[in-house]
Amino acid sequence: MAPNVSYHCPCLSDSTVPPPPHHLSSSSSFHPLHELFFCEECDAIRCNTCVSVEVSGYYCPNCLFEVPSASVRAEKNRRVLPYLCARNCFLCPCCRNTLSVVPSDPPETDDGRTLPVSAVGEPPFFLYCNYCRWDSAEVDITFEKPTGLAGTCTAQLQKFEDSAPDSLEFERLKEHFEPFLLRAGATSSLNPTTSAHSHHHVNPVTAAASSALARDIPGVAKYTPAQSTSGRRSKGARDEMPEYKARVDASSSKGAGLGGEPDVEFMRRLETVSEVASLEQRWSSSWAVSLRLSDIKPLRMPLHSRKSKRCPSCRHILIKPEQKAQSVRYKIKLVAANYIPAITVSMPAVAERRATLNGQATASAAEASLIQAGRSYPFHLALTNPLYDPVQVRLQVQRQLPAGAPRGADDEGTEKARRPPFAVTLPNTAFPIAAFAEAWEYEDDEDMLDDDEFGPERGAREKDARKNKTVGVLERRANVTIVGGEVLIGKDARGELKFNMLVSYTYRSDDPLAEDDVKATPSRRNVPEMKTFSFCTIVSLGTIVPREESRSVNVDL
Amino acid sequence: MSTVPVTPRHARQPSASVHVATPASRVPSGSMVHASPHYQTTRRHSLYGTEDRVVIDPGSRIWKVGFSGEGRPRDVFLVDSLWGLSRAAEIADREEEDRLLEIYVRAQLRSVFHDILLTDPKSRKVILVEHPLLPVYVKDTFARVLFGNMQVPSISFAPSHLLSLLSVGRITGLVLDCGNLESTALPIFSARPLFPQLRTTPLAGARLTAHLRALLLLFGTYLPPPTSLSGSASIPAATRSTRVPQEVLTDAVIEDIKTRCCFVGDPLDASADMQILGTPSEDPMDLDLPPSERAPSESDFSRVSHDLDSTAASSGFSVVSRSQVGLARNESHLEALANMYKRHSTATDLQLKVTPPATQQTGTGLGTLVIPGWVRERGAEVLFEGGDIDETSVAETILDSLLKVPVDLRRTLACSILITGGTAMLPGFIQRLHSELLRAIASSASSAGRPPMRPDRPRPPAYDRYAVLRPLVPHLAVLNNPSPPPPTGTRGNAQTGKAPAFAPATMPWVGGSLAGSLKTGGVELSREKWDEAAEEERQSAREDASEDMQRRVIRNVLPDWTRMPLPSGAPPVTRAPAPVHIPETAAVGA
Repeated sequence: MAPNVSYHCPCLSDSTVPPPPHHLSSSSSFHPLHELFFCEECDAIRCNTCVSVEVSGYYCPNCLFEVPSASVRAEKNRRVLPYLCARNCFLCPCCRNTLSVVPSDPPETDDGRTLPVSAVGEPPFFLYCNYCRWDSAEVDITFEKPTGLAGTCTAQLQKFEDSAPDSLEFERLKEHFEPFLLRAGATSSLNPTTSAHSHHHVNPVTAAASSALARDIPGVAKYTPAQSTSGRRSKGARDEMPEYKARVDASSSKGAGLGGEPDVEFMRRLETVSEVASLEQRWSSSWAVSLRLSDIKPLRMPLHSRKSKRCPSCRHILIKPEQKAQSVRYKIKLVAANYIPAITVSMPAVAERRATLNGQATASAAEASLIQAGRSYPFHLALTNPLYDPVQVRLQVQRQLPAGAPRGADDEGTEKARRPPFAVTLPNTAFPIAAFAEAWEYEDDEDMLDDDEFGPERGAREKDARKNKTVGVLERRANVTIVGGEVLIGKDARGELKFNMLVSYTYRSDDPLAEDDVKATPSRRNVPEMKTFSFCTIVSLGTIVPREESRSVNVDL
Repeated sequence: MSTVPVTPRHARQPSASVHVATPASRVPSGSMVHASPHYQTTRRHSLYGTEDRVVIDPGSRIWKVGFSGEGRPRDVFLVDSLWGLSRAAEIADREEEDRLLEIYVRAQLRSVFHDILLTDPKSRKVILVEHPLLPVYVKDTFARVLFGNMQVPSISFAPSHLLSLLSVGRITGLVLDCGNLESTALPIFSARPLFPQLRTTPLAGARLTAHLRALLLLFGTYLPPPTSLSGSASIPAATRSTRVPQEVLTDAVIEDIKTRCCFVGDPLDASADMQILGTPSEDPMDLDLPPSERAPSESDFSRVSHDLDSTAASSGFSVVSRSQVGLARNESHLEALANMYKRHSTATDLQLKVTPPATQQTGTGLGTLVIPGWVRERGAEVLFEGGDIDETSVAETILDSLLKVPVDLRRTLACSILITGGTAMLPGFIQRLHSELLRAIASSASSAGRPPMRPDRPRPPAYDRYAVLRPLVPHLAVLNNPSPPPPTGTRGNAQTGKAPAFAPATMPWVGGSLAGSLKTGGVELSREKWDEAAEEERQSAREDASEDMQRRVIRNVLPDWTRMPLPSGAPPVTRAPAPVHIPETAAVGA
C-alpha cells in the first residue's frame, strides 16, 4: 500500500486523543480528507459516521425521476410500494442489471408480409436483460403498453403486488389480533392499578397496546387439561384467543415453496445447480417462494435519496445538494479540504527503489514498497494550505504507548507488543506555508522563483538539501511546503509502519467584531487575530519486512 | 428503450395468451383490502408516514429490515459474523472486540436507515427483534448506536420467538428457532415467554456449514480446469479428478451449496436399510460432464474417483481427516458412515463451477466441484444426531423444553410447535424434524437408535427419558409443517400445517411488523431514559476519578430477562461485574 495520511474525527467523543494506530478498530476513526466535513460553528471536523443525515429528496437512480417525498410517504395508503420507482425501471432478478422494455416481433401474416407496426412496437411488451438475456416472458409477465407510460406500467406490476399473499395475510392477522388487544385493554382498565384510565378514553388502541403484554395471564388458574378439547373454548372464551384461520396455510399446495414434499423431490432430482434460485433472490420474500430460478420475478428499481448532512452537535447544515436529481452541485458544501491543510506523504528512498526495480521490470508492487527492519528511512510530508492566509504549522508525533503502560511483559510474544519499535523524527519548530492564491496570482512570484529556484542548479540544490538534512523544511513553493522526517526502524520490528501525528496550525482569524470569541473559524479574510486549530492524523508508511524475510523474498523473486 | 432491435425470443408468440393483463382478476383482491373498514382507520394514522416503526431483525449473519405494517422486509442482507458463541479471553482483546462490533453495527445501522429505508432515524421508533440469548453486550451496542449516533426516539426489544408466534396468529406455542449459531426452543404461554424453560443447542446453521465443508473435503471431487481448451476432450474426467483443495471451498461457495443444493431427506430407517440395499441406489444418474465422450455412468465415475482416493491417496486421506477436517474418528468409521448415507440417498450428484485455487492457476476457466448426492441429502443429518448431552439434537431440544414445562401446559404447547429460523428453510427440514420428534419419543425407551455408550457394560435399567411425553404423541403438531403426516384425529393434531405460509426465516420479522402496526410489542426504552442513565453514568464516573473514563458499563436500563427478579435469597445483580472495570493500564501492564 502506498504511504498515505488519514485524518482523525473525534466523532463527538470526549477524548481528543485518537486511538492508538495498532488497534484494528482505530482505522474507522481515520478518514481520507476528501470524506470529511468542517463545521464552522463548532470549529470541528465532522465525518460521515457522526453527521446526522436527512433525506432531502427521492429519485430513481435509473431514470432520474424525482419522486416527491410526500408521495413516497402517502402512496403507502394505496399499497403501491412507495420506495420503488413507479415508472419503467426494473432490475433483472438474476444479475441486477437494468431491464429494458422491448416489444415483441411483428407478427408475420400468411403471405409473409409483416403488418405495419406502430412506432413503439407490437403489443406484448416484456422486460429484457441486455446482460444475461433474462426476459420476463419466461415468467409470464408481459405488458400491453410499452415504455414511457408510468401509470400503465405501475398498474401492470401492481396487480402482482396487490395480490401479494403476504400483505393480505398480514391484514388478516391484524384483524385477528385487534379485537383481542381491545378486550385486553378493556379488562386491564378495570384494574385499579392501571393509571391510564383517562388515557384509555383518548386512544383505546394505545391503552390496549401498553397493557397487552403486561396483563394477567388468562386461563392459567382455571385451565385443566382434561377439559381442554371440549371445554377450552367455552370456558376461557372471553380470555382465550380464538383460533386463527390462515388465509393460505403452510400445508396448502403440499407445502411447495416452504420446503414441503414437492420441494424435496425437486431438490432430489436436481440436475444442475442453476435451476435453483440463489438465496439472495428468494430471501426478501416473507412468503412461501418457489425454489426454481424459472419462477423469479423482475425487481422494481429501489429509489435512492439525496441526503443533506448536518453537524451532530449544532445542527448546522454541512452539505446540501441542489434539489434537482440531475444536478451534481451543492447548495451548501463545507468540506474539510477547504479548511485544513492537505497532507501527502511520500518515501523517496522507497520510491527510488521502486523506480529502479521497475527499470529491471522484475518488481512486484509488494516488493517495491518494502521497508526493511533495522534501517532508517527519510520521508517527505507535503502540506498544502487551502486558506487565503499564510499559516504556521507545527507537527508533533503522538507517542504510541504512553510511558509506563506498555502492553506488558506478560504477553511479550504477541505481535502487538513488538509493534511500536520505531522512532519518528519530525521538525520541532513551526514552519510557514504560504497562502493559497488563484493560479494567476503566482505569475509574478514565478519569475522571481525562476531565478533562484527553478534554475539549472535547482536539482543540485535539492540533492544537497536531501543529503545534508533529512529532517526539516525541504522545499517551499506556492502554498505547498514539503518537510522531511525520518523514521528509524528497530531490528526486529514488523507489521504496519504507522503513527499518529498531531498537526496544529495558526492562522489569522477574521472574526469581524470578535462577537464570538470562543468560536474561531479558519476562513479566508483577514483581521489580525491569531487562532490555532489542531487535528490528528495517522501517517501510514507501509509494511515493515523483517530482515530475514526480506532477504528470502529477494531470493525467491 | 425500444432501440433494442429484435426480440430475443421469436417463438414467444403464445405468451400473449398467458399474459396476465386481466384487470378483472385484481378487483376482488383489491376490494378485499379496501373492504375492511379497519384497514382504513388504522392507515389514517400514518398520514405523515412516520407512524410506522422501523423493524430490525439483526441476526449474527443475516439482517432483515423494514417498516412495521408491511408484510415483508424491505431488505435482507448478509453481514459478517458479528458475534459468535465465544468471546476473547483477554480483557484488552475483548475491548477491541467491543469496539469493532460497535463500529460494524454503526456502519450497518447507518446504511439501514440512510441507504435502505431512506428515512430519518430521529423520527422513527425502532423495534429490535432480539433473540432471547442475544448477549447483553450486543444489545448494549445496538442501544448505544441507535440512541447515541442515530438518535432514534425509542427502541422496543421484542423477543423473536414471541414475534414468530404472532406471525402465525397465536400467542401460545412452543417455538424453535433454528438459526445460524444456535437452535433455541422457547415455550410461550399467552404471550409470556417461559424463559426458564428455554433449551438450546449449538446444532444449527454454522454447524451445518462446518459439517458440509468437512464432508466435501472428504468425499467431494474436484476437477481442475483443463490445462488447454483442446486437451479437455481427450482426458477422461476420472483421471483429472482430485481431492477437493481447501481453498476452493470458500465461505461463499459453501453457503451457496448449503442454500441451493442441500435438502433434508427422510429419516434413516434401519429396517429400510436392507430393502434399499437390494435395489441399485446408484443407478445411472445424469451428470452433465463436459461434452466429452458419453461419460461413463455416474456410478463408475464415482467408483473410479473413489478408488483413486482410497488407494493412491490413502495416506493423504488420513492426514486430511485428522489434521484438516478435525474429525477424530477413524477412516473406516467414516467410510461406513458414508456408505450408509449413500445407501439412503437417491439424490443426484451435482456439479458446481468454482474458482480454482490461486496456487493451481494453470488451467483455463473454472474448476468443477462434484457434490455427491448423499452429501446434499444427508449433510443435515448432523442436526438430528442426538445422544450428546451438551449438543442435543434439534428434536431433543424441543422435547427437553417440553419436559421442563409445567405438566398442565404440555399438551397445549405440544400441539402448537412452531419452527422458525433460516436453517429451517432447508427443504424437508420441518417434516424431518416432525418425524424425528415422534421417533425420539418412541425410541427413548428402547434406545434402539443410539449406540450404547460403553459396550462392555450392560445397559442400565431402561432410562426412559421421554416416557411422560408419550401420551402427547397423538397431539403433537408442528404448526408450519408444509407436508404434514396423516392426521391422528385429535384436535391439537389437526393444527399441523395450519399456520399461514410465511417463510420460517422471516416469521420473526413479520411478527415484529405486526406488533408495530398493532402498536404493541416489547419493552420500550425511550431516549430520555437512556440519556438519563448516560448522565448518571457520567456523574458516577466523575466521582470515581480513578476509573477510566472510556470504560463501558452495560447500562441497566436495558430490558433484560436474565435480570428478572430472582427467587428470594439471591440478590439481584445491578451492575456489570467488577472485572470489567479494570482500567486499561492495569490490564495492559502487569
